[in-house]
Amino acid sequence: MSPWRASLRSRLVAGTLCWVIATVAIAGWALGKLFHEHVSTQFHAELRTHLDQLTANIALDANGRPLLTLPLSDPRLSRPYSGCYWQVDSFGTGEDQQGLLRSRSLWDHVLAVPQDTPADGEIHQHRIVGPDGQMLGMVERTIHIDEAVNGKTRSLRLIAAADETQMTEPIARFQGVLWLSLGVLVAGLALAVLMQVVIGLAPLRALRQGLEMIGKGEAQRIEGDYPAEVAPLVDEFNSVLAQNATIVERARTQAGNLAHALKTPLSILANCADGRDDALARTVSEQVAGARRQIDYHLAHAQAAANRLPGARTPIAPVLDGLLRAMRRLHAGRGLDLVVCPLTDACVFHGDAQDLQEMLGNLLDNACKWANGRVEIGVRVDKGLLHITVDDDGNGLPAEQRQTVLQRGVRADEQIPGSGLGLAIVADLAALYGGSIALDASPLGGLRAVLTLPAAP
Amino acid sequence: MRTLVVEDEPTLQAQLAEALAAAGYVADCADNGVDAHFLGDSEAYDAVILDLGLPRMDGITVLKKWRAAGRTMPVLILTARDSWHEKVAGIDAGADDYLSKPFHMEELLARLRALIRRAGGHASAEIACGPLTLDTRAGRATLDGQTMTLTSHEFRVLAYLMHHLGEIVSRTDLVEHIYAQDFDRDSNTVEVFIARLRKKLPPDMIETVRGLGYRLVAPDGNK
Repeated sequence: MSPWRASLRSRLVAGTLCWVIATVAIAGWALGKLFHEHVSTQFHAELRTHLDQLTANIALDANGRPLLTLPLSDPRLSRPYSGCYWQVDSFGTGEDQQGLLRSRSLWDHVLAVPQDTPADGEIHQHRIVGPDGQMLGMVERTIHIDEAVNGKTRSLRLIAAADETQMTEPIARFQGVLWLSLGVLVAGLALAVLMQVVIGLAPLRALRQGLEMIGKGEAQRIEGDYPAEVAPLVDEFNSVLAQNATIVERARTQAGNLAHALKTPLSILANCADGRDDALARTVSEQVAGARRQIDYHLAHAQAAANRLPGARTPIAPVLDGLLRAMRRLHAGRGLDLVVCPLTDACVFHGDAQDLQEMLGNLLDNACKWANGRVEIGVRVDKGLLHITVDDDGNGLPAEQRQTVLQRGVRADEQIPGSGLGLAIVADLAALYGGSIALDASPLGGLRAVLTLPAAP
Repeated sequence: MRTLVVEDEPTLQAQLAEALAAAGYVADCADNGVDAHFLGDSEAYDAVILDLGLPRMDGITVLKKWRAAGRTMPVLILTARDSWHEKVAGIDAGADDYLSKPFHMEELLARLRALIRRAGGHASAEIACGPLTLDTRAGRATLDGQTMTLTSHEFRVLAYLMHHLGEIVSRTDLVEHIYAQDFDRDSNTVEVFIARLRKKLPPDMIETVRGLGYRLVAPDGNK
């Protein structure tokens, strides 16, 4: 996925900016064009004014030569190379002469006008090269004057010209200011869009953080107020989470109730069979023991919360403390020494507290049953994994038995009470979390159990 | 030794009471939490067997109330709920042991004996006082290696005195610990049992402390 597709924010910003830039560019072009036309119209209007004044004040002297009866009013026409010029050419009588009369501003320069003869009443526009080599805008018209003396008619071409820079300079200045302001406008709009998007999408960022916290197990639900567009989504998600938790809790309770309901009659049956020694009593005892194993096994699985609640966090220390209190009490007569290595804050299990309690409880109880006097518990965090080591100084297990006791219902010794499921349940629970349990010889002389579980991030 | 059985299933309650009686204990029974709390709070028991799922008041609450009121008798929780978080909750509420159903009666009795022994501060299964030995596992007393012949009431009186070696035990204490709650108690009968025991034991092992009660001591003064 390309980056701008991947992020809502860049999509919104890019989409809006495209339109803003396009619109501003078109507006800028149109404004420039309008201003250009306006200035150009003014420029030519002034030229026409000069031309009209010239037309009004031209006359022929006694020799039939054109002369100006009144000087033209614009002072620029008298200042040399001022950029405003006029010129009178005569033609049509066999004696074509350019620059017959010229404005003072032309000094000794004669405007080179292209061959053109506007019809009566027409005004033509041209662009010509001026005295300084600059471009001039020019208008011309033709007039015919009757000579007073010999009755001949003279054709005169009247020309008014002005430096085009009088027109282009303001346009260039205007364009500069125009594009600068439009640039500022675009920048301002871009900033506004960006802020709008950041503020508008802030709830989504909060939502993402909320989800991350749930993923890490730091929260049970998404907290906070969300805008009307997002709120239904958040509420729905929260209710799914809550429902999930309720389902897990209900399943646990129901499994517990069922087990409770079954175990009391089993106790009665076992007690009835206990005092007797006949075939029926033996069968009852065996079947009760079998039923109990089945119940324990399936209860442990039904109650396992692994994979059901996302990202729970369970610090090891409180769970271990509770279990140690229980172990000290349950094995009080044995005078056991239970030693725990110091735990760091990083010792946090990525999963459910009851599941951890079940796994550790079974391991510790097992170690306490077999220990002669000492049980050691070590917890280590390494690359996102918790390694919980439980050592005892009992007699240990031969290597070939270590694997089999992890299987369901296998007991190493029938003499010490227990359903023979403890380690198998630990193995199954650990596997649900993607962890494992391994048995080994302990440096203390007995069995070492190493439980590997995911550590909370 | 007097025990309280709290179990709401009548058949199991009867089985427990029967087994306890056969092992030489006196057993009172309760089938709901409120009665259980009242009995445990008002009577002197040497041990309590407590189910957790009880009508009217659950077992954990009963246990917490006893402990809050300063009742220190050993309590063995007997329940079908045997996940570790429930065990930890039970122990934290003040239970001394936890046995899950279904169970073997022998195991229950063994644990009960161990609890009563530990409550009296005795580490081993046998309590000795001079030539006299009480084997709590077998439920029998021997004098110079010879098993003594005792009636059940005589045994209870002797066992209670043995568990409280060197302490002064009042007549009321003895009455409370050898009779069930609904038994017609008469403290004069205690004197009869003491008199019979004195005949079977070396002289001066059971002292009478005037106005206070009795004390079991080794014949030569050392225990």
